[in-house]
Amino acid sequence: MALANTNTSMPLSAPVASDDWARLERRGALNRAGFLSAIIIFLTIVSVPVLLPYLWLLVKSLTSSDSEVSRLVLWRSTAIAAVAYLGAIALAFLADRLRKPALSWAALGIVVVILVAIFLAPYLTFDNYRFLWNRDIEGTGTTRMDLMPSIWAALGSSLAFAIAQTLIVTLVATPAAYALSRFAFAGRENFLRGLLLLHAFPALALTVAIFIQLHYMGLLNSLTGVVLVMSALELPFAIFVLKGFFDNVPWDIEMSAVTDGATRSQAFRMVVLPQVRGGLIAVATFTFLRGWEEYVFVQTLLIDKSQMTMSLYLFFVAQDNMGADYGMIAAVGVVYLLPVLILYTFTQKYITQMSFGGIKG
Amino acid sequence: MSNFQIRPHRPARPLLYLAPAIALLAVFFLAPIVVNAVIAFTDMGANLRVGEFTFKNFERIVQRDARLPMVLLTTLIYVTATLFIFNVGLGALLAMTSTAIPERLGNFFRGLWLLPRMSPAVLYGILWIWIADPSPSGLLNQVTGALGLPPINLRNDFPLFLVILANGVVGASFAMVILTSSVRSIPSHLTNAARVDGASEWGVLRHVVAPALSQPIRFITIYQALSLMTTYEYILLITGGGPVYDSTPYALYIYRRAFENGAYAYGAALALGLMVIGVAFTLLQWRITNMRSTFAAPKIEVL
Repeated sequence: MALANTNTSMPLSAPVASDDWARLERRGALNRAGFLSAIIIFLTIVSVPVLLPYLWLLVKSLTSSDSEVSRLVLWRSTAIAAVAYLGAIALAFLADRLRKPALSWAALGIVVVILVAIFLAPYLTFDNYRFLWNRDIEGTGTTRMDLMPSIWAALGSSLAFAIAQTLIVTLVATPAAYALSRFAFAGRENFLRGLLLLHAFPALALTVAIFIQLHYMGLLNSLTGVVLVMSALELPFAIFVLKGFFDNVPWDIEMSAVTDGATRSQAFRMVVLPQVRGGLIAVATFTFLRGWEEYVFVQTLLIDKSQMTMSLYLFFVAQDNMGADYGMIAAVGVVYLLPVLILYTFTQKYITQMSFGGIKG
Repeated sequence: MSNFQIRPHRPARPLLYLAPAIALLAVFFLAPIVVNAVIAFTDMGANLRVGEFTFKNFERIVQRDARLPMVLLTTLIYVTATLFIFNVGLGALLAMTSTAIPERLGNFFRGLWLLPRMSPAVLYGILWIWIADPSPSGLLNQVTGALGLPPINLRNDFPLFLVILANGVVGASFAMVILTSSVRSIPSHLTNAARVDGASEWGVLRHVVAPALSQPIRFITIYQALSLMTTYEYILLITGGGPVYDSTPYALYIYRRAFENGAYAYGAALALGLMVIGVAFTLLQWRITNMRSTFAAPKIEVL
């Protein structure tokens, strides 16, 4: 930017002091280069501790748990990641000047693949993922089989849990948000205030009361109970986010629908609802991810652990294995994390549109 | 024209739309609050039965709980350190720096910092347990070992530090995301004017970008202070509040009192305190941020 500015003003005073301008331009370019590299160095240094554990999680899940091998592989993979990272930064800066940026990105990808093939491939194994197709992970026949609960059951109940919660929250929150956005009725403002208070309410402080209440309702140890509780706790947030989306739909659309003879609920279902599709996707994704990762309430309210969600399963594998088979823990972790990342990549553009309390986030 | 007829006026019925939400909230959100308030005045123990109604729990909080002062101090250290170093400080730094570099690189770094927030809590907890693993094969000890330092045991010797670090890395992304959009909404003519007037890149960052962030930072500070005070998921997973009660802030203390010692009534009494704080903070936030648009009445209601 600084460069461009000095350039554009150059013709105006070029004959007088072109020397000065050239010097200024050089100084600006230098300043900018120093600034950019300082910032990238800062970002790299603070980000490495965030990236490394995830890289190592992936690598550990793909190598045998022998500590010598695993250490070697860890450092090699870190080195390869560093090479890939430096290459990517260089490419990102040169992107404007290269004639075929896509080609050079592909070249970088190929280099990384080759490095992995040379230095890492001999050590890679899918052995740690054997729990996916064989519950007898110790390979000792049938006696110890019962020790390893099926991951498919855990995945299934996590999925059921998250989907049920998503359905309940979206189905209940959507009409409520619409009513709060569109209808004037007595007590509307107080209702909103109350809802906002509930949103900020320390829900985790309610674990004790919820535990006791579910005990007396007979819903302890059942997924249904946890789903209902979690849905209620997520509801205020969902209603507010959706209300924000409804608020952004112009009134005129609805007015013309009603003028053309639609009833209020028809206008809601057929005209307004399609307008907030993005909001519905965002809220549904968000609720799904919250249900998928929930730990504290699941841990507290499913005390006999007959039904395991993925969070409990991973916790169980990490805690219970006396020999601490890191490779397998990592593999379970990857299986647990992967759906989140995939879902997030596909819905990212909707999630970033959520706004709350006047602040976009 | 002749067959044109006006449909009889049917008023909209907001209650119909709100009923499911009200029912769900009443049974699983409001009722627990009432239950909590009632239990706090009983002597409910591990058998989950109410023997008598007393004020003993509150007496105990005020007079006889020897751990409580320590827990409150831990809470204070934990919340202030995490909040100012990470949730606000690092978050603002990340937002400012990642918007100053080319767009694609900035997205990469922001995506990276969102990774901990997206990861399921249990997985994130396990990653930190691995990092802090006291054996030489722990991730941190591999790094310190490569530098020739003796292995350290974070979970035992510096549990509070570990907890602050783990929560801060997740917490920084909240401010980062919000402040990034604040930075983007700064009109570009301000930046250009500053540059024409000879501001360096650092000068732009310091005198144009930073001042624009003060309003959202105030919102973030209050919002995050409350959420740090009231959540304990990562702490429960990483240190479990231990060794003993060394890394147990107030919110986790409630949980541990109730579920580890079976003192449900006492836990409920402690929880009441947290709820009061929660409501107070929310009211404070309403005063500071402008909530008028949220509460604004619908524009027309003629139907």
